[in-house]
Amino acid sequence: MIIRARDTLKLIGVLIMSACAVSVCALFINSNIDLARIKDQITDPEVMAFYDVLVQSGNVTSAISGGALLLTTIIMLFFYIKHYIDTHKSELGILKALGYSDFKIAKGFWVFGLSVFAGTSVGFGISWCLMPMFYKQMRGDELLSDVPLPDIPMHFNPELVLFMIIIPSVVFAGLSILYSLRKLKSPALELITGKSKVKIRKSKQSSKEQSFLKELRQNTVRSRKSLVFLIGFSAFCYSDMIQMSISMTDTLDVGNMMTVMMAGIGILLGFTTLYIAVTTVIKANSKTIAMLRIFGYSDRECKSTILNGYRFTVAIGFIIGTIYQYFLLKTMITMFYNDEIYGLPDYSFDIKAFIITLVTFVPIYETIMYVYSKRLKRISLKEVMQSE
Amino acid sequence: MIEIINAAKQYGNGESATAALKGVSLTVKDGDFTVLLGASGSGKSTLLHIASGLERPTSGSVKYDDLDITKLSEKELTAFRKKKVAVIFQQYYLLPHLNVDKNVKMGADLIGNKDYRSIIEAVGLGCKLNKLPSELSGGEQQRVSIARALAKKPQALFLDEPTGALDEETGRQILDYICRLQKEHGFSMIMVTHNTNIAETADTVIKMNSGKIARQYSNENRKSAYEIGW
Ligand SMILES: Nc1ncnc2c1ncn2[C@@H]1O[C@H](COP(=O)(O)OP(=O)(O)O)[C@@H](O)[C@H]1O
Ligand SMILES: [Mg+2]
Repeated sequence: MIIRARDTLKLIGVLIMSACAVSVCALFINSNIDLARIKDQITDPEVMAFYDVLVQSGNVTSAISGGALLLTTIIMLFFYIKHYIDTHKSELGILKALGYSDFKIAKGFWVFGLSVFAGTSVGFGISWCLMPMFYKQMRGDELLSDVPLPDIPMHFNPELVLFMIIIPSVVFAGLSILYSLRKLKSPALELITGKSKVKIRKSKQSSKEQSFLKELRQNTVRSRKSLVFLIGFSAFCYSDMIQMSISMTDTLDVGNMMTVMMAGIGILLGFTTLYIAVTTVIKANSKTIAMLRIFGYSDRECKSTILNGYRFTVAIGFIIGTIYQYFLLKTMITMFYNDEIYGLPDYSFDIKAFIITLVTFVPIYETIMYVYSKRLKRISLKEVMQSE
Repeated sequence: MIEIINAAKQYGNGESATAALKGVSLTVKDGDFTVLLGASGSGKSTLLHIASGLERPTSGSVKYDDLDITKLSEKELTAFRKKKVAVIFQQYYLLPHLNVDKNVKMGADLIGNKDYRSIIEAVGLGCKLNKLPSELSGGEQQRVSIARALAKKPQALFLDEPTGALDEETGRQILDYICRLQKEHGFSMIMVTHNTNIAETADTVIKMNSGKIARQYSNENRKSAYEIGW
C-alpha cells in the first residue's frame, strides 16, 4: 500500500496525546486497583473517608484528563487521515479508477493505529517510571497529614495492558479504516481532479466589495474547517486545563501532583495542537504566500492575511474553555467534596485563575505567531515550485 | 531601462555547486520586447528571476534606470517588486479558492487600481468573473494570470514559458493577447519561450546556452527565428 508504517509513526500529535492519556490513566487506575486491595484493612471511619476521597479524585482526574486526551487523540488522528487523503487525493483516485474497491484502499489505513500503539506503549512505560513516586505522594502528607493510610503495595495489573494498549490500538486502527472509508466515498474522478472541494466552496464566495487581503484572509480560514477547529480546540484546552488546575489549588487544596499534572497536560495539549494546526496552515498556503511575496505584498501583510484570521477562533475557544471548566468544577465539587470533611462553600467563578490564564496565554500565543511569521518569510518561490 | 551587468548565479557550495548563470549582460529598453530561447537547463528561468528581483545574483548587478536592485534590503526589494514588475509562470499559480475577479484583484489592490475589470474584459473573461480557477481551461487560467499581472500596471512584465502547458493553438492565442496588451500599455517585456515563431514580434531575440548568452539578435526587421537562421 501507499502508506508506509514509518510515516504513521511521525504523527507526533497522536503519539504525544496517547502517551499522555495512558500515562495519566494508568497511574490512577493502577493505584485505584491497588487501593481496593487494602480497603479491608481500614477500620477508622475518618481514614475511610480519606480513602474515599482519594479514590474519587483519582477517578475524576483520570476521567477528565484521560477523556480530554482521548478526545484529542481521536481528533488528531482524523485530522491526520483527512490531511493524508487531501494531499494524496489524486493517487487514491487513480487507485480507485484502476478498480481497487474503497475497502481495499481503506484497509491500508490500519497502519495509522500503529502510532496509537507506539504512543500508548510509551505512556504505559512512563507511568511505571512515575508509579513509585506517585504511591509515596498519595499515601503521604498530601491531603490530611495526620491520617496515614496503611502501606499500599504496588502491583502490576496485567489487565491494564489489554485495556490501555491493545484495545485502544485495535480500536484506533479500526476507526482509521472506517474514517478513511467515509472520506474515500467520492467518485474517482473527483478525487483525481479535486473538483468536489470546489463545489462546496463556491456558494460561500462573498460578493461583497472588500479588499483583496481581507477576502483572502476570510477565505483562508473558511477553506479548511478542520484547522479552525483544531486551533480553537488548542485555546480551549489551555484555558480549560490551566484555569481548572489553578482553581483546584485555590479552593480544594488538593495534592500538587494532580494540579501540576493537569496544568502540564493543558500546556502540552494546547501547544501541540496549535503547533500542528499552524504548521499545516503554512504548508497548505505556501503557494499563496509565495505568490503574495512575488507580487510585492509585504511580510506584515502576508502574516496578517494567513495567520490573523484565526484570532477570533482562538478567542472563542478560550471563552468556551472558561465556561466549560466552570461548570465542570462546580459539578465536581458539589458531587464529591461538599461533605462534612471539607465543608466547602459553594464554588464560585475564580476570577484570579481566569486572569492568570489569560495573561499567560496572550503573550505565548502572540510569540508563537511571531515565530511563525518569521517562517513565512523564508518561503521562497523556488522551493514552492520545486516541491511540485 | 533595465540593465543586467555581468550577472552570475551559483546554486549550492563546494562540490555540489552548479553555476546556473555565468556572467550575463543584457539591456532592455523601455517598452521593448525581448525573447529568451534556449534548451532547458540553459539558465533562462534563473536569468528571469534575477532580472525581476525574485532572486539575487551571486555577483553582478541589475539596474532599473539608476536603481541597483541587488543593493536593496529584502523589504525594499519587496516594495520594488510591488511598484515595478510582474511575473507570469507556466503553472499560473492562481489562488484556488478565489474566483477570477478576486484573483485579478490581487494585482489591482497593490496599487489601488479600481479599474481592473477592464483588463479582465481585455483578456476576454468578462463573462467568467465568478468562476473558480478549477472551473476554467488552461488557456483561460493563463489569461487570468495575465490579467492579474497587468492589473498592477508593471513597468516590466516577465513571463516564464507562459504557454508551456498549453496546446499550440491556445498558446498562440495567449501570445496574441500578450503582444496586443504590450502594445497598448507599453511596458517592457521579457519572455522565455520555446515558441520560436514569437521571435517575429520581438525587438530582441536571445539564445541562451549553459548559463551564457550564446547569440543575440536585434530584430529590427521583424524576422522569424527561422529567417534569422536559428
Ligand atoms: N534552486 C536550485 N538549486 C540548484 N540548482 C538549480 C536551482 N535552480 C536551477 N538550478 C540549476 O540551474 C540550471 C539552470 O536552470 P534554469 O534557469 O531553471 O534553466 P531553464 O529555465 O533554462 O530550463 C540548471 O542546471 C538547474 O539544474
Ligand atoms: Mg525554466
